[in-house]
Amino acid sequence: MNTVADYTTAGMAIVRRDALLFLSYRFRVLSQLAAVFFSISLFYYLSRMVNVTTFSSSDEYFGYAVVGIAILEVIGASLSGLPPALRQELVAGTFERLILSPAGAVTSTIAMLAFPMLVALVSGTVALMFGIVVFGLPIHWSTAPLAIPVALLAALAFAPFAIGIGGAVLAVKQAGRVSGFVVTGLSLVGGFFFPVALLPWWIRWMSQVQPFTPSLNLLRHLLIGTPLVESEWLSFVKLIGFSAALLPASIWFLSVSVRWAQRRGTIIEY
Amino acid sequence: MLHEPLLADPVRATPDATAPDRLALDGISKRWGSADPVLDRVDLNLHPASLVALVGRNGVGKTTLLRIAAGLIAPDRGRVALDGLDPFADRREYQRRLGFVSAGQGGLYARLTVRQQLECWSRLAFIPRRERSDAVAAAIAHVGMGAKANARVDRLSAGQRQRLRIAMAFMHRPALILLDEPHTSLDDDGVSAVEALVRNAVGEGATVVWCAPSLPDLGLAFDEAYLVDGGKVLPA
Repeated sequence: MNTVADYTTAGMAIVRRDALLFLSYRFRVLSQLAAVFFSISLFYYLSRMVNVTTFSSSDEYFGYAVVGIAILEVIGASLSGLPPALRQELVAGTFERLILSPAGAVTSTIAMLAFPMLVALVSGTVALMFGIVVFGLPIHWSTAPLAIPVALLAALAFAPFAIGIGGAVLAVKQAGRVSGFVVTGLSLVGGFFFPVALLPWWIRWMSQVQPFTPSLNLLRHLLIGTPLVESEWLSFVKLIGFSAALLPASIWFLSVSVRWAQRRGTIIEY
Repeated sequence: MLHEPLLADPVRATPDATAPDRLALDGISKRWGSADPVLDRVDLNLHPASLVALVGRNGVGKTTLLRIAAGLIAPDRGRVALDGLDPFADRREYQRRLGFVSAGQGGLYARLTVRQQLECWSRLAFIPRRERSDAVAAAIAHVGMGAKANARVDRLSAGQRQRLRIAMAFMHRPALILLDEPHTSLDDDGVSAVEALVRNAVGEGATVVWCAPSLPDLGLAFDEAYLVDGGKVLPA
């Protein structure tokens, strides 16, 4: 068996393991779906109440928020999900086994992102379905299928942030707490619940230097027909650019963190 | 040689002192914080097809030494080689050749079954696809866990969990197997199962290091024994 196949098999073993562990909690799926439903319902009724010039109708704001919630699910699953997962592995002593496998700590940590992201993508899709079926969210069916590859590309662009935080957790342990601030900060400057144009000018630049805003713009355009502030190709190129630049950098940082923790002897401590 | 063999073993290969070292530790030092070094310029060379005891009181650095030999942590100074491979530069191949049982009861996924745990490990250990199901079945059989193959780990006793951890260390047929107090929690049948695994592995040319506070009373003949004390590793 060649190297790529070995590592792919090992990565799939982690995904399968995570799926088995996820499904071993009977009410987890149900509670996750309920949380999505409550978020969608909350924003539906908020949208009925809000009447601002930025949006032409309540439905337009509702659609805007639903796509934001769906993407925030993916970001939450990766950025907020990996640090506690790593912590649990370290406390349970299972991370030691991953380090001592031929697959290694870096491959295993990256693979640990896959299942939560998959669940988040499904969860985001369910959120949209709730919006469509229960609240009559108007979807642009002609362009909606294109949202699938864009969502996958967006997940790829978000992954480096999670990998970086994972590396920080292995190096300095308590770094996971930072992820909460990062997700909250992103929800403020990323344009998840309101357009970034409403932000003060001095903070607006932050929406340009991360992949979350172009992802949101593209997905909203494809799913609910929100006009783009820049060309769709430019948003697309930005996403590819962020992935291409940040993925290798984040993997390098994770490798360095693992090596550093091994030198200090703290790799299996939490 | 520490003592005469306790059991005659017809499949036992004779350790070849002229063979290249299986494990070579050269000038290993490790210090935790500002305390005295727990290991101080340790040299140790182990040969293929040998069973080695590593004994010493609590806190003298046995576990640290095993972790360094496993490539889990790096020494402050010195060099580690398994069949000439570096644990970090040649990490993938190094880990393919290594089996490790750490002290304690950790390292298992509580909500997976015995079989699921071993199947996951067989993939992480890069066991070729065509050999995987046989390897899992053999691992379950070797530690006498056939009746518990579909039981979840959190419903196993401490001894059964230890058997599973040992099965994982041996299932990819490593060349070097490091066992940190492996007989903890095991009943007589469990100890016998581990002895058989060790005997078989050594017979196939593997090097097995059995680490414990004192030399265990086992049905195994140790080829070499070392005492860890005062930061040094000395022949016992």
